[in-house]
Amino acid sequence: MTATAPTAPEAPARRPVPRRVTLPAPARLLRLELRRSIMPWLLPLLAVLFWLATYRPAMANPPFWNIRSGMAQSRAMLAFAPLLAGAAAWAGSRERRRGMADLVGMTALPRWAGQLAAWAATTCWAEVAYLTGVGVLFVVTARQGAWGGPLLWPVAVGAVFVAASCALGFAAGTLLPTRFTPPLAAFAMFLALAGGAFAIQENVSYAQIWPLNVQGPFPLDSYGIFYPYVSDLAIAQVMFLAGLGAAALGGLGLPAAAGGRWLRRAAAVVTAAGLAAAGTGVALAGTARLEAHGMVIPALHDAASDRPTPYTPVCSHTAVPVCLQPAYRALLPYFTAAFGPTLSQLAGLPGAPVRVTQVAVTSVRADGSNGMGFGGPVISGRPPVLYLPLAGMTLPGEGDESAAEFIATLRQQDGPWIMGILVGLPGLVAAQAGAEAGINGFVPEASSGRSAQMAVLDALIRALGLAQPAPPPNARANQGGRSAPSGASQGSASPARQELAAAKRFAALPATARHAWLMTHLVALRAGRISLSEVP
Amino acid sequence: MNVEITDLIRRFGRNQAVAGVDLDVGTGVFGVLGPNGAGKTSLLRMLATVIPPSSGTLRLLGRDPRSYPQRRQIRRRLGYLPQNLGYYPGFTVAEFVEYFALLKEMPPERVPTAVAVAVERTGLGDKARAKLRTLSGGMLRRAGIAQAIVNEPELLLLDEPTAGLDPEQRVAFRALLRDLGQRATVMVSTHLVEDVGAACSQVALMNQGKIVFCGTPDELTAQAEGTDAEGDAPLERGYSAVLAAARTGTGAWS
Repeated sequence: MTATAPTAPEAPARRPVPRRVTLPAPARLLRLELRRSIMPWLLPLLAVLFWLATYRPAMANPPFWNIRSGMAQSRAMLAFAPLLAGAAAWAGSRERRRGMADLVGMTALPRWAGQLAAWAATTCWAEVAYLTGVGVLFVVTARQGAWGGPLLWPVAVGAVFVAASCALGFAAGTLLPTRFTPPLAAFAMFLALAGGAFAIQENVSYAQIWPLNVQGPFPLDSYGIFYPYVSDLAIAQVMFLAGLGAAALGGLGLPAAAGGRWLRRAAAVVTAAGLAAAGTGVALAGTARLEAHGMVIPALHDAASDRPTPYTPVCSHTAVPVCLQPAYRALLPYFTAAFGPTLSQLAGLPGAPVRVTQVAVTSVRADGSNGMGFGGPVISGRPPVLYLPLAGMTLPGEGDESAAEFIATLRQQDGPWIMGILVGLPGLVAAQAGAEAGINGFVPEASSGRSAQMAVLDALIRALGLAQPAPPPNARANQGGRSAPSGASQGSASPARQELAAAKRFAALPATARHAWLMTHLVALRAGRISLSEVP
Repeated sequence: MNVEITDLIRRFGRNQAVAGVDLDVGTGVFGVLGPNGAGKTSLLRMLATVIPPSSGTLRLLGRDPRSYPQRRQIRRRLGYLPQNLGYYPGFTVAEFVEYFALLKEMPPERVPTAVAVAVERTGLGDKARAKLRTLSGGMLRRAGIAQAIVNEPELLLLDEPTAGLDPEQRVAFRALLRDLGQRATVMVSTHLVEDVGAACSQVALMNQGKIVFCGTPDELTAQAEGTDAEGDAPLERGYSAVLAAARTGTGAWS
């Protein structure tokens, strides 16, 4: 019998002892500050503000990346910046308010470093709040099928503005550590933003640096689609805001109590560099000028942003196709409905557009309150094509604008305009040229040679069912520059009775009869060779 | 000597809070006694490098605090409990102590242990996770002591450390002081003479910015002999005798 030695029980596998990772001191300090910052308490308030000031208005607009991104800069920061400045001032005044100055002042870590940790914690929370809000906005926008991608420069400006607001508020709280400083800092920030808006309205060139200014007077939905986003102004704003923030934080390191000689020298360098960057940003913004596709700062401009963004248009399957940039795909049925009656009246006529193509909004110099206007529609090419920019229009879903209202507005704006060009009424062409030359409010002369053209135009507009044609051009100088001819729409200042009679007579004809007459007489009419009596 | 002071003066406007103090202090617990406004707190704030002297020389731990690099070295080895302890109400006890350990530039790997030890030594182990806003005055004082000792300072400055402590805590605290005094210089500013009698090996008595007595507690007690100084305890009578002599200008000690 052989005895088998009992096998020794296997030693239990040694569990790896979890090693505690020791964070470096600055990281530990930041973690402590993050954990005990006032900001987590403000997150719900920031979320509500973001929802009220940014998310809700953004969602009331169609899903365009430019609108949503622009709001992430302008509206979000208008709501966030004063609150963040106040909260940071509260954090900055903490040592004095809590009677900790002696205790903190005798520690080895340079005071500036400790202050920067407290500021960094406040800023981290603020950035988390802001970027989370923007992230949600962008995710929703992407799920709504927006064409292209988010514009990141406005978000970058917003993020830097968050940090700068915190820095300015923190510095105010540190230098003036009272309970009144936080509300004062918030109010001062609000006043600064309001002052910037006022300066922009007063056309102060340097005011373009105003951090809520996205692309000067360009409407939110008018840039970054046909051409790349012009980032010149955003770069200057980032320089300005980062510089202001750095100067504010650097200033905290200048007092003798802040640290040693080298550290204070570093603080002085940071302060000087910050002031230089802020000054440079303002100076650059002063050179900004409105170009066709956005605000251009020559020293910062990248020529690549002048090259159009390639895209394949989406077109309606109608006799006269309406082609839009794919970002506007959802609006195609409305455009088709708006242009249908006009185009059907003109289909086949000599010079009538065979296609409607949406084009980029381009700015033109004008004498409006903000010194600019936008180019209107143009019929050109062979075969003729109606090139249609969409500037300053309230799109369906934007505010209370319904699809029916949008269609009616578009029809009322562009229908008479297209017809005016076709009948050769120079007023429209001149109004267009005038707008480009900075002359608004052009009123065509109601000379006898033009009477037939005016009568026919008036008749065509009546046939469109526009009882109250569009207001004169000068009433909409900054709303896209498109308008009906004042002579046609309002019957000029006092339309000749014969013109009116001829217009009513022509409008009363069956559509086929009008079309047939126009087929044979339109060229002569456009050339001014048809007299009023020849109008059937 | 960890503290070397020569003709130290500190003015606040026209008021001379510390009016020419000479003092050398080595290892042990050193009590600074005096009535209100005697200059104790101003002296301790100078020793804590919170405020600079108006004139005179000061050397702490063999270094000159006027030089920033040396001041920083001193501060790493310094513990300070101010008379009016400020605190961040949202911090827990452990976080508060950790915060100061980091501000004192302790090596990060030593911080967790040092915090735990300091919290235990002050009897706040079961309150380590409690928010400071929830603590009583006495517990807050202990949290203040914990932050002061977290870096195992070579020079510990405590301004009215027993204010707000109950008798039991006070006894425990005196034992802690004696323990700390074996390896470090502990300067305790107080107007409670029993603290001095129980914990201090040396005592200085300040009046109107000047040190009017410096010696052992027994020597202070002896100052009352032959006088009609008032007091419930012998040390109190010595204290009263020295102060009375200083006020009349007879100078019981030099």
